[in-house]
Amino acid sequence: MNINVVQTDPHHPRLELSGRFDAFETEAFRATVDGLLNGSRSNLTTVLRDVIFVDSSGLAELVRLMKHCRESNGELFLEAPSDPVRVILELTRLDAAFAITEGS
Amino acid sequence: MTAIGIPSYREWAETELTGPIAYSIVVPAYNESERILPTVGAIAAHLCSLGEPWELIVADDGSSDDTVALLEGLELANMRVLKAQQNGGKGSAVRRGVLASRGRMILFADADQSTPIQQFETLRAELEAGADVVIGSRSAAGASVANKSLARKIFSKGLNVLVQFGFGVPFADTQCGFKMFTAESGHLLFSRQLIDEFSFDLEILYLAQKLDLAVAEVPVEWIDAPGSTVDAGKVALEFLRDMAQIRWNDLKGRYDQPNHAKVAVNASHLGLLAASSKGR
Repeated sequence: MNINVVQTDPHHPRLELSGRFDAFETEAFRATVDGLLNGSRSNLTTVLRDVIFVDSSGLAELVRLMKHCRESNGELFLEAPSDPVRVILELTRLDAAFAITEGS
Repeated sequence: MTAIGIPSYREWAETELTGPIAYSIVVPAYNESERILPTVGAIAAHLCSLGEPWELIVADDGSSDDTVALLEGLELANMRVLKAQQNGGKGSAVRRGVLASRGRMILFADADQSTPIQQFETLRAELEAGADVVIGSRSAAGASVANKSLARKIFSKGLNVLVQFGFGVPFADTQCGFKMFTAESGHLLFSRQLIDEFSFDLEILYLAQKLDLAVAEVPVEWIDAPGSTVDAGKVALEFLRDMAQIRWNDLKGRYDQPNHAKVAVNASHLGLLAASSKGR
């Protein structure tokens, strides 16, 4: 999986992900987001337009991140999930838990 | 993905097909509660984007976890869950799935998405070009293999050498869990299959050769799935045993006709056994 950090807004970083988000990728993902989030920054957007598959480990990582953001009175936004990610979120009933946006 | 993806998925999920089915996707599952929902989602999203009628068959293999309950809770109109009272082996699960299928092309794919479903069209192209059976290969030139451990590479290579030179099945990778069949060849082969465990793939390919079916081997992308439960030593011993068993079965004429009564009925209803004797 490729992770591209876009820092146009210093208070609301965006992560553009592409490829396959599975157990082999969670460590790199966690290291990236943990470096971005601190006490003053609790909003984060992950762009999922080019993610072709997310497994249970990837989903667990997104849930962990969502909780982290909300504990800091912020939000994790999932932007423009690809069709497979959208269907996977729906089947696991996580679509209702996440803030999903369509993006531009 | 295509623009038709989500609307097509909604229709597939909610409205049961009544006409001919183009594709049957068979997924064997044993204690896959952690992995099965993302796999179903990935398969559904991709197949729905192709715009042809298709069905999903998950052949449970006597799971003791929540695999069956999770799947049934989805209430997908065109997914069937074949339940088994006890664990009979991957080969038995795939056989039940293939023989219950109604599509004119049948793909069996492992539940871990180690071969991404996006490879579907690569195999389909070979069937459309005239092959009866197409096998995904991690060893053919052009294959992409990621995260495979050295031990597993050595194990796979050893099996391949054994199969090619000790058994006369000329394929670089017999064990990849991503194989596709025409309806005729799938029903023909799986009605004769006797091996229920890991080496059923080898038996299927042995039978394909024996029945003079056209088999194509195509390179695929493969990503080792975390949590693999394969015990290499045990599997190697089973493989050796099953190679001898397959030879013995053949010598005893056990492959000369369908071995599964229910299957034979299904196949004859479809006219498949007659089609198999087309003299290739």
